[in-house]
Amino acid sequence: MDISRDDLKIEFKQHLITYLNLLDVKVDDIKDDESLFGGDLGLDSIDSVEMIVLLDREYGIKIKNPTEGRQVLVDVNTIVDYIIANRTK
Amino acid sequence: MYIKAISAISPQLTYGDEYVQGDFQIHTKGIINAIEPNYLAIIPASLLRRMGKAVRMGIGAGLPLIKNYPAIDGVIIGTANGGLEDCIRFLNQIVDYEEGVLTPTNFVNSTPNAVAGQLALMGEKMGYNSTHTNGSLAFDNALLDAKLVLESSDKPMELLVGAVEEISDYNYNIDTLNKHYKTESISNEDLISSTTDGSLCGEGATMFVVSNEKEGAIAEVVDQFQICFPENDEIAPLIVDFLSKNKLTPQAIDLLLFGNAGDGRTDFWYNNLQKEVFPNLAIHTFKQFCGDYRTASAFACYQAIQLMQKHSIHGFEGQQPTTILVYNQFSGERHGFILLRKLPLAMKMEH
Repeated sequence: MDISRDDLKIEFKQHLITYLNLLDVKVDDIKDDESLFGGDLGLDSIDSVEMIVLLDREYGIKIKNPTEGRQVLVDVNTIVDYIIANRTK
Repeated sequence: MYIKAISAISPQLTYGDEYVQGDFQIHTKGIINAIEPNYLAIIPASLLRRMGKAVRMGIGAGLPLIKNYPAIDGVIIGTANGGLEDCIRFLNQIVDYEEGVLTPTNFVNSTPNAVAGQLALMGEKMGYNSTHTNGSLAFDNALLDAKLVLESSDKPMELLVGAVEEISDYNYNIDTLNKHYKTESISNEDLISSTTDGSLCGEGATMFVVSNEKEGAIAEVVDQFQICFPENDEIAPLIVDFLSKNKLTPQAIDLLLFGNAGDGRTDFWYNNLQKEVFPNLAIHTFKQFCGDYRTASAFACYQAIQLMQKHSIHGFEGQQPTTILVYNQFSGERHGFILLRKLPLAMKMEH
């Protein structure tokens, strides 16, 4: 888990592209503070479930509370902060 | 039942004009993969990224027809395996992650009715929607279903009917273990003349706009017939009865389009039928174009209609058939006949 916050952002974005099969999207295209839902990425509710799966499989984080999910799955910054605070692997 | 338009994604260049201009794509890897178009011109990227191969081929072949024929009311699809790649991936995840959190996308793609469902959603078609999954007669049953729906309608009606099959690692491995595919390396160009056991695995999506009104139609599905697990000597009298029921004799057939698969174990079904009932007609085949898969009879219908349109299909030069009999079976178990008749082009001018 010795990974800097910036490197973690890049790693998470790579996972995001893979899990969500974001065609023609590169790591640099995803801004840290850009809203993931309703923004240029065009993510929807199914993607939020895919992200919950991503967090579980890659970082050992289980989000079970919908309210908590809404606060976490906002942008890359909020998700990475949550990963740093809660990751189990 | 009348056919108004056709579309296909197949191992040939059927999405463009090359196929009907005589181009023949040779596949030498033992698996005859479909040549997929650039879907981004048809399917929004946000939807495409979630589609498995079977779904995107089905949408890619069907959606342009839905857009060109806005009167289409319902969608009927035949698929033996559906999105099997995603299905098995989803099932494996259940095991790997101990029934924990699972990805919804694999599940969505895994259901055979994902193609008909997505077509209806994207084309905003609120009418009849059905998917037939009964193995190698799935397309034949979809066609029969369409016929029943159209015949039960007392007003003009159009439906999208078609078939989708993808090659997945899983179905390929299972069918290979079942000795369905050749063990030697062979090109699709040489498939039909082969007499060894097995065939070559193919895939594709084929779609038709069918209607209960003649106006604007290019062909008629005169009739169809299916039988499971027949005896060897059962097919010939059945086809004579089938033709007789439609007030036809074997001499009325212009072209036989049979599903010979280069399989030394099962091609006798076709060869025997030709010898016994159609001794004056040569067998023409279609699986050298599309490979062998359970709903390949849809591609046969597509090819038959292209021949009726006088297109220059590779190996069919000079053929201008009006009445075509499609006969296909898979593993000698399920057999289907589809009788197609060309409609005069002047039909469009009649009304």
